[in-house]
Amino acid sequence: MAITIDEAVPVSATHDAPPERRRGGRGRMVVEVVLLTALAVAMLFPVLWMLETSIKENRDVYAVPAKFFGFDLTLAHYKDVFVAPGGGRSDLSGSFLNSVIVAGASTVLATVLGVPAAWAYSRFSMKAKKDQLFFILSTRFMPPVVVVIPIFLMYRSLGLIDSKLGLVLIYAAFNVPFTIWMMKGFVDEVPAEYEDAAMLDGYTRLQAFHKFTLPLLVPGIAATAVFALIFSWNEFVFAIFLTSSQEVRTAPPAIAGLIGGTTVDWGLVAASAVVFALPVLVFAYLVRKHLVAGVTLGAVRR
Amino acid sequence: MTTTKDHPVQEAHAAAPPAPGGSPRLSDRGLAVAFISPALLLLLGMSVFPLLWALYLSFTDYSATRDVPANFVGVENYTNILTSDQVHQRALTTLLYVVGAVTLQTVLGFAIAFLISRRTHGRGALTTMFLVPMMLSPVVVGLFWKFMLDAQFGVINSMLGSLGLGQVEWLTRQRTALISLIVVDTWQWTPFIMLIALAGLTAVPKYLYEAASIDRASEWFRFRHITLPMVWPLLLIAIMFRAIEAFRLFDLVYILTSGGPGVSTETLSFHVYKVAFLGFNTGTASAYGILMVLVVIVLAQFYLRYLNKLKEG
Amino acid sequence: MRYLQRTGRRSLPGRPARLATAAILAATALAACGGGAGDDSGGAAAAGGPTAPATVPELTDDPLTLSFIWFEWPPAQALEDFANAEYSKERPNVTIEVNTVPNANWHDAMFTQFAARQTDFDIPILDSQHIGEAVTNGNILDITDFVNENIEVDAYDPYLLAAYGQYPQAETGQRDEDASLYGLPLLGDTWTMIYRKDLIGDEPPKTWDEMIDAAQKCQDENPGVSGLAFHQANGSDAAAVTYNTVNGVYGGNLWNAEDKTVEGVINDEAGQKAMDVLVNEMKPLTAKGSGNWFIDEVNAAVAQGKACIAFQWIAAAGGLVDPAQSTLGKTEDEILDKLGFATLPTQDADVVPLGGMGMHISAYAPSERQAEALNFMKWFEQEDIQKKWAAAGGVPARTDALESPEFLEAGPFNQVYADSVSRMRDMWNVPEYARLIDIENTNVNAALNGAKDPEQALDDIASEQQRVLDSAGGGGL
Repeated sequence: MAITIDEAVPVSATHDAPPERRRGGRGRMVVEVVLLTALAVAMLFPVLWMLETSIKENRDVYAVPAKFFGFDLTLAHYKDVFVAPGGGRSDLSGSFLNSVIVAGASTVLATVLGVPAAWAYSRFSMKAKKDQLFFILSTRFMPPVVVVIPIFLMYRSLGLIDSKLGLVLIYAAFNVPFTIWMMKGFVDEVPAEYEDAAMLDGYTRLQAFHKFTLPLLVPGIAATAVFALIFSWNEFVFAIFLTSSQEVRTAPPAIAGLIGGTTVDWGLVAASAVVFALPVLVFAYLVRKHLVAGVTLGAVRR
Repeated sequence: MTTTKDHPVQEAHAAAPPAPGGSPRLSDRGLAVAFISPALLLLLGMSVFPLLWALYLSFTDYSATRDVPANFVGVENYTNILTSDQVHQRALTTLLYVVGAVTLQTVLGFAIAFLISRRTHGRGALTTMFLVPMMLSPVVVGLFWKFMLDAQFGVINSMLGSLGLGQVEWLTRQRTALISLIVVDTWQWTPFIMLIALAGLTAVPKYLYEAASIDRASEWFRFRHITLPMVWPLLLIAIMFRAIEAFRLFDLVYILTSGGPGVSTETLSFHVYKVAFLGFNTGTASAYGILMVLVVIVLAQFYLRYLNKLKEG
Repeated sequence: MRYLQRTGRRSLPGRPARLATAAILAATALAACGGGAGDDSGGAAAAGGPTAPATVPELTDDPLTLSFIWFEWPPAQALEDFANAEYSKERPNVTIEVNTVPNANWHDAMFTQFAARQTDFDIPILDSQHIGEAVTNGNILDITDFVNENIEVDAYDPYLLAAYGQYPQAETGQRDEDASLYGLPLLGDTWTMIYRKDLIGDEPPKTWDEMIDAAQKCQDENPGVSGLAFHQANGSDAAAVTYNTVNGVYGGNLWNAEDKTVEGVINDEAGQKAMDVLVNEMKPLTAKGSGNWFIDEVNAAVAQGKACIAFQWIAAAGGLVDPAQSTLGKTEDEILDKLGFATLPTQDADVVPLGGMGMHISAYAPSERQAEALNFMKWFEQEDIQKKWAAAGGVPARTDALESPEFLEAGPFNQVYADSVSRMRDMWNVPEYARLIDIENTNVNAALNGAKDPEQALDDIASEQQRVLDSAGGGGL
């Protein structure tokens, strides 16, 4: 690939000073910084507002004009996320747990199926390999609302409607193409010669993969799994159409269900949104080096 | 990746080789099949088979709830959809949305990336900060913007009010509702374009700029003839990717406007949902879905072809 | 099927590749055989579906969970608490569970499961207009014999029994004794007018025109408070119920049920007048940007003191007198000094919308739970239980319970309900309901928000609904 990107997200920016500036460069720099700050504020404001709403008393939430400062702090909304009004575990926390199970299991399945496939695609020559790979990736582009119709009919025959297994399978199916593409890039980076050398020593190809290549792939697998996890964690369309019971419902439909009753507790919506988003942000931060590959389904790599 | 390069070779010598013939050796071909087929089977079962099923249903008048056998109706569903004014209206809405959102994201995303790439300090922190929106679930994004855009209690109108500007009905007027959708999508996905544009920008070799500055080339010239050509291929990937995603949009509409006012922000995805789950006209919905899949396949082909060219080039 | 599902699950962490492959292969094959058009599973024969026994069958003594499905709102929690507290006195081995889904997803959640011929609920709580769809598809039990045998039908206003259970639908206000029953009333409901006593006076306006004048005057006198607040959203049945209500008040009709004509009925002179009043007289008195308001936004507007007169479902009005959610007062009494609840004003006709829901029995529930569901219904419809349900915040259907102090004193709006019973009118409960309501919702919402000319919107409703009814749900677009 012609483009090699050393630092998609420069964690420690070591880049030298940008090209030499002309006269008037200072004025221009100021303009640029101001512009960048303005854009940053615009992008971050909704997130900050969400955080702020989550710690406001409800009467301040509805205040007009909006209260940016000087409101009463409360952690009651966060408590409501986890604790039911009458005590005990809230429905919402059950949904969070379901999300953890579904997202976790589908990620494991996608990884277990995707990583060996990626290795095989990287190492072996086979017929119409490119076509196969493109076919695999194109399944990822199907509109969920369309896929959900036949999936619904299929699940109904299989008794998978409103089951965690059903969600796990469909999420895995959406994550496998991604895993294969992303992991193939990582496998490509590990020279095949290592395996060849091991095979000369008497290892089988499988053992060579297992003993020497796989350990090197662990960081890549972790990054890939995180992206699969984020997709499954955030997914809404399949969740809302394929599940209905409290025992199975994942967090996104549960959070969406917080509005549309008789009152909307925006503080609770905000608090649950924060709780829901936090793990994703942490995970995304952990894999920040691989973000470019991750968000393009592994199609663009560093 | 590069730091551990040497290890395996050493390990290979350290570890004792297994006795020859100890384990049954799979041929490479067998191994490839064994490793690839599970993944392919999952895709066949969960993606291809359902689509083929939908393709079959699209030629029938099947309904998922009514207890009557499906009748073969030929291409009637397709002609109905393609000639329906309702569908044309949704297609136009979707087109406006896709073009508006993707254009706005591209311009903003590239601008931010460009500004960041010119900073020496704090680029990592800046980038990470900008990326937050795209990590959020569309549900969270939709709900929260609904709250912020509320004409009465929303913070946006509150701020406009403090500036002496009037209230805007963000979600309940034909034009503003579509604009609101575009704005929210842009807010969420500008970071995506930014990230990829930044990847392209940081990859421009420095010597090119140095050569240009020796030639006393103007800033614009450098941008036009060095920066843009280098970044464009990557940017195009990002744009096409976003276009496909935007075309599939459902969740944001569902939560933010549920298609309103009237049906003026109903996208094709949202309309398919209504046909499929309100009337349970599964046959028609399947045909509708297949047509959407065709569009996606065409878009994806462009994307993949281009990607391929880029990889080989 | 069960076995397959279990295998699949167990295989996940273990030796996934081969087992999952096998599962998927088997799944694909099964789906291929069972799928497509000829879906022969489920006991649904001809339209009408299976029939419940006339008497409650023998009940099990084993622990049993009886599941309801409803949407997310306070009555759902109230029902679960009430049933677990009271029903367990009679049946200690039974636990009641009321599952809830988002309101917007309520119809879809129930009917996708019906379509799956497999439900995780035993007692679906259907909107009264969903009955036709469920009956036609054979999703719920015919309980006519059971009702005749076990329920004191004379204790009810006949229309309430009909509205929440009968199909085909009865004429408004009537019950057809020969028609079959598929459900029993769970929660009655109608609109109440909520008015600010401190702003427009203690006496509620009597006619619709007076109401609009009072709202106008109040809005003019109180900057920052809008004259009216009502449902306008294009989701659920929000905007449609609003139009239907005004239509009824001005003497219009939604359709001619006998020959299934909408064209020329809903858009007759009265219908046009109603649309004109709604869009050109009422809408200008609402808050800016209220075009997507539904239950919770109207409640918020009232609680924030931003509306002079509002219209709301009674079952959703409970939060309005809760000081924790209101800025109108520190105690319930303080709030009630400011808020009045009244029956809807009349104009050319005396009609209010019928809301509320009935309980039904899923045709796909296991027989021991169907038996328990019948027993629950029988228990629930007794006089003293209905009174207790009223005291717990429910709206009963039996006349004796409606007239009881337990009910009338339980909420400031309950008298409104009791007074409205004889005036109630429902929408069509035909199988095509979901599409009819969507057509009306989106068009009324478009008219309210300036996306469509009101007259045009009304004509579009008429022609599109007529098309759906004529094609008996076919076509699809």
